Formats: sequence, C-alpha cells, structure tokens
Amino acid sequence: MDDIIFELKDVNFSYLGKYPALWDINITIKRGEKISVIGANGSGKSTLLHMLDGLIFPDKGIIRAFGKELREGDLNDAGFSRNFRKSVGLVFQNPDIQLFCPTVREDIIFGPLQLGASKIEIEKCLEELTAMLGITDLLDRSPHQLSIGERRKVAIATTLIIGPDVLLLDEPTAGLDPLTTRHIIDLLNLASSSGKTIITSTHDLHIVEEISDTVYVFGSDKKIAAFGSSSEILKDERLLMEHNLVHIHAHRHKDIVHVHPHQHTDHH
Amino acid sequence: MFKKSNFIERSLTGALSFIKGSIFAEGYASRIGFLQSLDPRIKAATFLLFLLQILFTKNILVLLYLYALCLMLAQVSRIDLLFFLKRTWVFIPLFSLFIAIPALFSIFTPGDPLVSFSLIGHKLTITHQGLSGAELFVTRVITSVSFVVLLSITTKHFELLKVLRIFKIPQVFVMTLGMCYRYIYLFAEIIEDTYLAIKSRVGTLVHYKRGQHLVAWNIAYLWHRSYQLNEEVYKAMLSRGYAGEPAVLTDFRFKPKDLVWFIFAAIMFTAMRKYG
Repeated sequence: MDDIIFELKDVNFSYLGKYPALWDINITIKRGEKISVIGANGSGKSTLLHMLDGLIFPDKGIIRAFGKELREGDLNDAGFSRNFRKSVGLVFQNPDIQLFCPTVREDIIFGPLQLGASKIEIEKCLEELTAMLGITDLLDRSPHQLSIGERRKVAIATTLIIGPDVLLLDEPTAGLDPLTTRHIIDLLNLASSSGKTIITSTHDLHIVEEISDTVYVFGSDKKIAAFGSSSEILKDERLLMEHNLVHIHAHRHKDIVHVHPHQHTDHH
Repeated sequence: MFKKSNFIERSLTGALSFIKGSIFAEGYASRIGFLQSLDPRIKAATFLLFLLQILFTKNILVLLYLYALCLMLAQVSRIDLLFFLKRTWVFIPLFSLFIAIPALFSIFTPGDPLVSFSLIGHKLTITHQGLSGAELFVTRVITSVSFVVLLSITTKHFELLKVLRIFKIPQVFVMTLGMCYRYIYLFAEIIEDTYLAIKSRVGTLVHYKRGQHLVAWNIAYLWHRSYQLNEEVYKAMLSRGYAGEPAVLTDFRFKPKDLVWFIFAAIMFTAMRKYG
C-alpha cells in the first residue's frame, strides 16, 4: 500500500461544469513507475496531469495521493501544500506559461525559494542542474530570448530543482529537434534510475518505449481506452489507429507508391 | 487595412517595433561602462537623490549643472550621445505644448512684459517671469527625464525590479511588474504573427472598414488569450509552491567603488541643497 503514490477511482472532471475532460478514470500509480499517457489532442491527458499535481479536483470520484484523499481544502494548509509541492513537480506543455520571471535564473530558483530552501542549498542545486542540462550560459537571459528547445530545458530545470519524487511532464518533446529530444529522454531515464516516478503525456510514440513501462491510451470520449505494457500497446496498430496515433503513410520506391500505417516509433 | 502607408498598419508595426526596441533592448545595460559597473541599489538611490534635488531647486544653474553631469555620466557609461539626446528630448515637445508654452504668456504668468503681439485679433504678451518659469520647467523636465532614461538603459530590467524592493515596494507588485514585462513581449509576438497570418491570407487590398473589423476582432482575441494565460500562469506558480507572497533572492554585491560614488553623490546633494 505504501508503494501506491496516486490512486484515482471513478474520476470525472469537466471544465465549467459542461465540457467533459475526464470520464470514469481509474488509475493506480506506484512509486518508481514509468508511465506514459498517450491519446489524440483533447483526450484529457493534460487535465489528468493537472489533477495529479493538485491544480484541479474531480467533480466526481476520488483521487488519493500518498495514501491520503486529495481535496482542494488540503492544499490551503501551508504544511501539507509545501510537502505535496516538494514531492510532485509538473512540467507544463507550454514553457511560456511556466517561465514567468524576468530571467532564467529567477525562474529556476522560484520553486525552491517558495518552498523555503536555503540560499546555499539553492545555489548548489542551481549550479549542478544547469551544468547537467547545459544551460549555465542562459541564466541571465530573459526567457523570451530563448529558442523553444532552450525554453523547454529551462522549464524542466524549474521543476527538477525542487527535487520532486514524482515528475509529471506534459508533452516534453513536442516541437523539439531530435538531439534535444534525445537529451530529454536521457534526463528522464536518469531521473527514473534515481527512483523517481515519471508520468509523461505525449504524442511521440517513438519515445514511449524508452520512457515508460506502462502506457495508458486515452480516447476522444475522455475515457481510458486501453492500458498495458509499452510493447503491448505499441504493437496494437488497430488501437493506435483508432485513437489517431498512427496514420497512413504513402511514399515512393522507384516507380511504385507504397502505402502502410505509420507509427512514428522511430525517427526517419 | 494593409495598403501601403495605411494608418493602422503603420501604427501597429511602429508600436511593436518601439516596444521591442525600447523596452527589450538591453545592449547598453550589458556594456562595460561606469554606471553599468555600479551596484544597482546604489545607482538607483543616488539617482533618486539627484531627482529630489531637481524637484526642489529653483536655480536653473543647478539644473544645468545636473544636466551636464547626466550627459557626462552617459558618456563614461559608453552611451551613444546622439541616441541618448533623441531618447530624452522626444518628451519635451509634449510637455512644452501643454505646460511651458502657455506659461510664457501674461494670462497664466502675470509680470513684466517682454514681447507683445497680436494673434487672430487677440493681444498676447510674453512676460519675463513667464519666460524664466518656462525655462526652469523645460530644464527640470529634460534633466529629470535624462536621469530616469539613463538609469533605465544602464540597468538590466530584472535588476531594476529587484531595486524596487529596497524602496519597500511590496514584492507582489514588483512581481506583477516583472510579469507584465515578460508577457508584453509574448503578446507583441502574438500580434505580429496574427498580423502576418491575416496579411498572408487576405493580401494587401482590404477596405479600411474591414481592416478595422479585423483589428477589433484581434483586440478581443488578445484579451481572451491574456485572460487564459493569467489562469495558466497562476497554476504554474501554484505548482511550484507559490502561496500568496513570493520569496526572492537578492544577490547584489556592494563594492568599494559603490561607496565612493555614493559619498560623491551625497556630498553633491548636500552642497546643492545648501548653496543651490
């Protein structure tokens, strides 16, 4: 039981009470697991991550975090909120949302400062983390001066510096070049090998097998359409096609047009 | 909307380029120069002393002396003087039109007549007192504007924001200011992209009325987008432990050079208060 970090039971959530975003969701997440959430646009992946981060709460059903039911009122309690925020970190889909400070340095240290870390501790972590991510040169720049890849790395740094046990990532590789994508995959695997729980929402099927052991497929009806090991799910072409995760790809071999389903499980 | 020399297009591109050029250019703040090397807290505090002196003095010579000091500081801080003069004198016509020019005349400043003339059947008299008042006013405006501009172009914006804290501006306001700065750029980019997207679809021949509709629609879109962004950024802050009062780290370093400069400015301030 201690190993269970999140437990969602019959969870429903809708925006403004009328636009359903999650429907009958049942998920159990254990400590140290690597999970991917895949699905078409608007299938509720980001909403799920926001709920796991205690930013929104179910309209119906129960969410438990670290063995305790998570309710909005609990996060108004300073002690509980501080512990929860130290334990769970979310990297938002849009780095422009996450980087709201005038400089990269201030953005990265924002989290630990709010959570009461000491100046020495913050400076040490900042130095190590920025060296590891290769972003030391960016510290005094404004986020608006950075490329999308740099912004995404900085956004990840803003969360990693808190040292959360659970790392939630919302499409961390969207729009990135292959090399930056590779760096992010390596980073996630490093975090996972140090015992962190990694939950990633993504469209990039080619990274799923590397960053996850378990995959949840979300359907356009906002329900979980399937879940299983990453190899099982990625082999199920019919399931992936049904949820807009593969497409028919046509290309030419000399004079013959060749057509086949295309999964984006590899770079090409 | 997009015909050549069209008013809306020119206003839009002009405003965006002004915002990007004036607010976001930090070229001078990154140069190696005298003011750039000072601790921003000391620099801001001494500039505040100069501004107070400008406000209190009624002696035009003191103002001219301070203006000369400002130009000298600009010079030793490797600021292009032509750029600096353009940037500061741009405010003068605005103030002159509404305050300094009317103050020349006996209607607003009675006194000894200097010159009289007729304009559309009305006799107007410029007075000695009016002229010296207007001179004092214009010199005061140009000197204070010059100091403020010099402070802003030789200091990185995030350092200026931190400096506001030493003047006991509540952190929440400082942070809001910082965010405004951050997101103005994002919105300027959205406006630019939207403008290009419209231009690519509609070409250049759009009736000005249709153009006005498009601009109005874009203002509404931007308003909606800023509202959304506001909610999302708040969530991102909560996610990293924000609980109502932001904490910040101040890492300025006080150097002997700062002390020397501060003593110099304090002596000048005291001397000018006493003899000016």
